[in-house]
Amino acid sequence: MNKKVAIIASNGGLFDAYKVFNIATAAAATDQEVAIFFTFEGLNLIHKNANKQLPMPEGKEHFAEGFANANVPTIPELAEMALEMGVKFIGCQMTMDVMGLEKEAFVDGIEVGGAVTFLDFAKDADITLTF
Amino acid sequence: MNSMKANVILDAKGLACPMPIVKTKKAMVGIEAGQVLEVQATDKGSKADLKAWSDSTGHQYLGTLEEGDVLKHYIRKSSGDESIERKHPNVMNNDELEKKLEARENIVVLDVRETAEYAFNHITNSISIPLGELEQRLGELDKEKEIYVVCRTGNRSDLAAQKLAEKGFTKVINILPGMSKWSGKTTSLNN
Repeated sequence: MNKKVAIIASNGGLFDAYKVFNIATAAAATDQEVAIFFTFEGLNLIHKNANKQLPMPEGKEHFAEGFANANVPTIPELAEMALEMGVKFIGCQMTMDVMGLEKEAFVDGIEVGGAVTFLDFAKDADITLTF
Repeated sequence: MNSMKANVILDAKGLACPMPIVKTKKAMVGIEAGQVLEVQATDKGSKADLKAWSDSTGHQYLGTLEEGDVLKHYIRKSSGDESIERKHPNVMNNDELEKKLEARENIVVLDVRETAEYAFNHITNSISIPLGELEQRLGELDKEKEIYVVCRTGNRSDLAAQKLAEKGFTKVINILPGMSKWSGKTTSLNN
């Protein structure tokens, strides 16, 4: 029936965040079941403070104006929307341990798990994406 | 231009991808099966996106009108009426109707789909009365003429044909399957 979309988010820039959340929200809006595994720098995308100020790639700072003009939602807004539509956020336990971060540092509604938690979801996914 | 009635209008103007889709998804939840949603957007990608979205979620994408910078997309919520038992005894298939039209027989083709569906594509010279308005608009039809009723798949036209028969119309024929497979002449907004 519904397609399953498994996404790995492993980079922490603003562009990376848009790629991940645009695909995830669009898929969820199309009645697809979506899970995102946030690992290494990807954890910035769901960190309560960090995701409000994700960096533009070096030399691309001039795009800030374009984002404002195009009325693109902010990353915290997109993350909230994704959660609201049932997208599953899985924070990588190992990365959190390495970086000394607790679950409370992240947006509400995430699960924390290891690679197997994600792989269990991804094993019968129709679409798998890595960002 | 034809009147294009939508049951619900969604304003997604000024929003960037993926917001028009996200808003459409939410709006669709609140409307009834068979009703038409008009999505107003300025995101140029929304045309391809909403068509693909409709295809993968099972809703019926009717078409898009461009008015200046605004794209108006029309989508009909899936009706789940595919398995309804048809009851009107007089039926005819698309090909036979097409032959009658080619022979220029003096017949009436009544299209009972929603006005937005009709506007985007309909049999040339057919009359539009949506099923929901039929009862109030019977006066527009001539009881003496043969009336060929058409919709998308033959279900709404079956209900319309039953309604007409009940109201004393004797020469009513339901066309199967209808516009979903129609290959004859049409008039459409996009050509």
